[in-house]
Amino acid sequence: MVGANRVVLGNGIVHVVGAAGVSADAEKKLRRQLIEKALEALQSDNK
Amino acid sequence: MRVVHYLNQFFGGLGGEEKAAAPLEVREGAVGPGKLLERLLSSDAQVVTTLICGDNYAVENQQSMIAAAVEKVREAKADTFVAGPCFLAGRYGVAAGALCCAVQAKLGIPVITGMAQENPGTDLYREELYIIDSGDNAAKMREVLAKMVNLARKLMRKEVIGFPKEEGYIARGLIRDQFVEKTSGERLVDMVLAKVQGKPFESEMLPTAFAPIPMPPGVKDLRRAKLMLITDGGLVPKGNPDKIQGSAATRWGSYKIKDCVDLKGEDYEISHGGYDPQFVRQDPDRLLPLDVMRELEQEGVIGELYDEFISTSGLANPLSNTRRMGREMAERAKQLGIDAVILTST
Repeated sequence: MVGANRVVLGNGIVHVVGAAGVSADAEKKLRRQLIEKALEALQSDNK
Repeated sequence: MRVVHYLNQFFGGLGGEEKAAAPLEVREGAVGPGKLLERLLSSDAQVVTTLICGDNYAVENQQSMIAAAVEKVREAKADTFVAGPCFLAGRYGVAAGALCCAVQAKLGIPVITGMAQENPGTDLYREELYIIDSGDNAAKMREVLAKMVNLARKLMRKEVIGFPKEEGYIARGLIRDQFVEKTSGERLVDMVLAKVQGKPFESEMLPTAFAPIPMPPGVKDLRRAKLMLITDGGLVPKGNPDKIQGSAATRWGSYKIKDCVDLKGEDYEISHGGYDPQFVRQDPDRLLPLDVMRELEQEGVIGELYDEFISTSGLANPLSNTRRMGREMAERAKQLGIDAVILTST
């Protein structure tokens, strides 16, 4: 939006790379997944 | 009228790009285009001092250079301060704009500068300053200086300044009350009719334009890359040492996370009025994913995570702040040799 590149959708506003109501492990896993997606975006040349 | 004039290394006659590191120097009287400026001013006006500074020096030492320059303007007992014109020279425009703002704020004297619409300095400073639209052609120096002189005179005499088109300055985005003949409904319909008929019309308000920014090429070797984390969620160390405002923040901070593998809620607070902070308070990694980044660093997936993270609040923040802060953060990242940034946003 507004021409920003490499935007990865986070998990909501209040815990953009986290989660509520799940185990600490599950949350860490989710965080890792989001960051890995971000790293993929950083390496790619797709918008 | 005593005028102090600011020029970069090129217009100040020091040289080209190879002199961009030249520190601030003070010369008596007018230099280069300043001589033309002096001739265009009234006969009782004089460029008493010229300040010359290399473009790179100005950008890299902005704070200290500006402080020193303002003092020189004060010492010279200037009635008016003129910077540039800068045309399309970006570092020059940013320095000139920042310097004009500082002189205006600290000394309360009229300031005037000139630069092209596309100069990064324009976007940053158009609201605070009168910036004559110089276009990008330095051959128009005389014309541009003449407009700067005219506007400077009006500012000195505290006359009412006309519309941008009349006076030749870049639209400041300010709205002024005015009595008009037609109601807004009538004016709007006139505009729509003109538009559909392909006739020219002038919008009374211009929506913010976002210039498309070319996407930098992807990181080639992530395992050797130096990454940095930035957030606009207002995560700050407990006590908010830099007093970053929760809303319309004008400041950003850089905070140490060296040897830290996990952010603890008790070490931080949130300065951001726009979201429920409870989850991030419990575990700041939910906003700034330090724990995961450290794992990735240890596993060798990424080369290195930089020792500090950058933070500010994005809430209700006008572009005039965020464009500047973004630029400053990018400069810092460049200086640190950062290859890529992950910016988390609420």
